[in-house]
Amino acid sequence: MERRNFLSMTLGAAVLAVVPASVQAEDWRKAKPTVWTAKTVNDAIKAMYGDVKLIEEGVTVTTPDVAASGGAVPVNVKSDIKAKNVAVFQNANPESAVIVFDVNKYSIINYDMKMKLKSVGDPITITVVVEGQDGKHYVGYRTLDVALGGCEG
Amino acid sequence: MAGFKIKAKLKNGVVSVKAMAKHEMTTYDIAEKQTGDRDNANFIFHITATVNGETVWEVSTSQFLSKNPIFKYKFQGIGAKGDKIIMIATDRKGKTIKGKGKIK
Repeated sequence: MERRNFLSMTLGAAVLAVVPASVQAEDWRKAKPTVWTAKTVNDAIKAMYGDVKLIEEGVTVTTPDVAASGGAVPVNVKSDIKAKNVAVFQNANPESAVIVFDVNKYSIINYDMKMKLKSVGDPITITVVVEGQDGKHYVGYRTLDVALGGCEG
Repeated sequence: MAGFKIKAKLKNGVVSVKAMAKHEMTTYDIAEKQTGDRDNANFIFHITATVNGETVWEVSTSQFLSKNPIFKYKFQGIGAKGDKIIMIATDRKGKTIKGKGKIK
């Protein structure tokens, strides 16, 4: 009995091994070009993932409260979710998508980056979507102010 | 000449990397303002980081990263002290930006 269970477990593991996470790694600029031209966060998310429900949990986005320069705003994204990819959007610039990270078995989701955020006078919200290996989509938000115009700086 | 400056440290099984790409990262708006032609925009589209042939970090990127963009990332399960991290970026004009760093 034990042996049969052991064999079936091994087969299951072998099937999983045939499709490693790294196989799904993509160049998202080529795979989904409309993500990069979408003007609003919602349009960009739709272009990337389709009409999906966003679960607000498990994604932490960190920035300064007020970015001194819109030309280089430090943003950190953390998550413990077993993910396929992480997509970062914002509502300040002419287009909404900033960067998409491909996640594989070696990845730790703790990413730092510096982005341009065009100062629009109002607070800016950064939206980060994590596509889980469970097929669900998790989201985290962070709102901040930017002191000077980024894209023009 | 190295297009990437890479610093990598291995501690408690986790490799922490700080990398800076040398790139103008001009947006369409900036290209239009500076040269009158939006097609002069040039920014990085895609970057991979590999260790021993395996991808440890991979991004697709927009015109909205900063000039000479700095990234920090971590990975585990691969890479020993002395191993090299190779980073390769491709930009809008099709140019390749490369660099490597040793895991310390």
